[in-house]
Amino acid sequence: MNEKKAARVKKLETEAAELMQKLQGETDIRQKQKLIARRDSIQRKATTIKNNRLISREAKRQLIAYSFIAPNFIGFAVFTLIPVVFAFILAFTNWDGSNPISFAGFANFKALATDTFFLAALKNTLIYVIGTVPLTMVASLALAVVLNQKIRARGLFRTVAFFPYVASLVAITAVWGMIFHPSKGPVNYLLLTVFGVAQQELPKWFSGSLVLFTLTLFSVWKYMGYYMVIYLAGLQGISAELYEAGGLDGANTWQKFRFITWPQLRATTFFVVVMLTINCFKVYDIAVMLAGGGDGKLSTSATVLVYYIYQNAFNYWKLGYSSAVAMVLFALVLLITVIQFRYEKKLNA
Amino acid sequence: MKKKLLSVLLATAMLASLFTGCSSKNAETETNNPAATTPAEETPSAEPTTEGEAVTLKWAIWDKDITPYWTALKDAYEAANSNVTIELTDLGSTDYMTVLATELSGSGSDFDVVTIKDVPGYATLVSKNTLEPLDSYISEAGIDLSQYGGVDSQVRVNDSLYELPFRNDFWLIYYNKDIFDAAGISYPDNDMTFEEYDALARQVADPTFGSQIYGTHYHTWRSAVQLFGVLDGKHSILDGNYDFFKPYYEMILKEEDDQIARNYADLSAEGLHYSAAFSGGDVAMMNMGSWFISTLIANIKSGEYDASLCGNWGLVKYPHAEGVAPGSTLGTITGLAVTSVSDQKQAAFDFVKWVSGEEGAKVMAETGNFPALMNSEISDIIAGLEGFPADEASKEALSVSNLYLEAPYAENVSQINDILDTYHKSIMNREITVDEGIAKMNEEVGKVLGK
Repeated sequence: MNEKKAARVKKLETEAAELMQKLQGETDIRQKQKLIARRDSIQRKATTIKNNRLISREAKRQLIAYSFIAPNFIGFAVFTLIPVVFAFILAFTNWDGSNPISFAGFANFKALATDTFFLAALKNTLIYVIGTVPLTMVASLALAVVLNQKIRARGLFRTVAFFPYVASLVAITAVWGMIFHPSKGPVNYLLLTVFGVAQQELPKWFSGSLVLFTLTLFSVWKYMGYYMVIYLAGLQGISAELYEAGGLDGANTWQKFRFITWPQLRATTFFVVVMLTINCFKVYDIAVMLAGGGDGKLSTSATVLVYYIYQNAFNYWKLGYSSAVAMVLFALVLLITVIQFRYEKKLNA
Repeated sequence: MKKKLLSVLLATAMLASLFTGCSSKNAETETNNPAATTPAEETPSAEPTTEGEAVTLKWAIWDKDITPYWTALKDAYEAANSNVTIELTDLGSTDYMTVLATELSGSGSDFDVVTIKDVPGYATLVSKNTLEPLDSYISEAGIDLSQYGGVDSQVRVNDSLYELPFRNDFWLIYYNKDIFDAAGISYPDNDMTFEEYDALARQVADPTFGSQIYGTHYHTWRSAVQLFGVLDGKHSILDGNYDFFKPYYEMILKEEDDQIARNYADLSAEGLHYSAAFSGGDVAMMNMGSWFISTLIANIKSGEYDASLCGNWGLVKYPHAEGVAPGSTLGTITGLAVTSVSDQKQAAFDFVKWVSGEEGAKVMAETGNFPALMNSEISDIIAGLEGFPADEASKEALSVSNLYLEAPYAENVSQINDILDTYHKSIMNREITVDEGIAKMNEEVGKVLGK
């Protein structure tokens, strides 16, 4: 150790000693804590210099920890964080992707208020979310409860229920297109022959006011298997003792479900509802595949927000405007998620 | 110590992969450049060779493997200009214009020549300042634009031209001769009004269940229905007032009701392709673009389409409104443009000039496609293709009197197209009436046009 370093160590040590004295005279607990922290940091510095290290052991440990997080964080920052911040800024500008950006203030948001297609997309998305979230939740819970029983061929039924989730969207929308075909599909054929609906009155499942209903039905069918698996995991976490105790008290099946299963599944239900809501707001592929017809374009009755975002960004290159729509979607999802968290907190309290 | 060794090994592996990435790219460019058969440092590419400066032009195209003319044009041009190498980059046909616009955004692109697939995409690229105005090059080269039949004027932007057309497709009526023969009705001809067309379709149609014959077929595209309205030469999709669509919507919806044509809702639910509809042998007449000619010939020849169902086909000109000259039709052009970032613009323009000129046109016609530059020699080449209908009327159908682009240039043409598409869907799905749909189109396009 050279002289310069020695002098520095000495100075730090005296500083630490001074702090010790101060500490003894101090009565306020907070001040005491602050002083201790400062003393420790000074002592660490002194040790680092004494041991002839560039950085202290503590800092080294932290550096290692950060270097483990870094690859993931850099990926997240480059592909998620920065684009999100950029989109937020873009929402207040006009930009076509190559010419200089010009600041637009709130003009994009003002324009949204009178945009027929945006309002239609917003309305359709909300209707879809309100229809799909509770239905999928109920359907997946019911499936999970049934398939949690010791029934014959349980594994097969679980696979069958999960199948739509893993099947290719292109293939299953083609099948749905055939089943619900307006004039040749078995569903309408049934309505025509068994229920005597007139040929002209047969529902057109993929257009008009019915399209959102068909979309909802399709989504419930496709996603209930996935959420069923989550519910199954939740169900298996419930202690069998609770049911035994319930049985001894004379509870019937419904009462067991109502007073044991449902409350025990609250955390699972919370997770399922939050995930479902977020996923439903992001609906895009199902709408385009099911209602897009040959050209993949949606009529006003089937337009959804994400489709409108894509259309503005990559067909019209109105990146600012499309970011504004994205911000509205973000705000909506955030708002609903915050409400859900608040509600959950209240229930827990 | 072990940890240290591991991290050193990892770092080495990462660095190594980085360098292999670079070197493989170098290898690729070397193999693509035939001049570089000797080690690169010995023959710097910038040095002029005896045949003129060696030039490599990078050209953006789509569907290289299934579209014969890209390679044919490349080979023919390289044969005529030994110092030029054309490097094809296939961006795929799905979302081609979107991918291209993304590629040309920012400064990372190195395309010299890009293919322009449609006018909305062209409008985007021009507004993004990614294309080079060609006017000075055109006047210097003394190109006579009148050879393109006036379509160049429909893609001018503030009086400047940013592309030269090399391919031109126009709409025709395809018909199935066997169906007409079986019904004992004479074939459609090259001079039909829309009333006559409708009457003929009704005459030949047969709604008997099981052996149904559709008199006419309209594909789900908006152009197949709506754009009958622009053929009188007085209207275009940029008008902002679309009352002129009305009679055509009414005619076609009535045909659907009477089972003369397939139902739009059915077509869009099953995603029936027009080629499947026509080759199925139950469609008497169908309006479709000239691109279907080469498909039809090739697929009947290969046996993919059943020749007993659709092998006996013919062509006639589009029907026309009362008082309009027959031979007026809709068209789409495919053009070539020079990018503004290219550092060899003159060489790129020379290529564009060649492809859209007479030599390129011959290459196009020999592959069974319609070049933008049409004359009797070129339509003879197409009519002489093996499998093209032998009757005179079909050959005559290839001569066009007025060509109106499906979408002429306008800054907001993408948005206008989408609005028209949206309400076209709603009308054809019978979600709203024709009048309501047209009122909506007028209103929404009016907003875009700022009226």
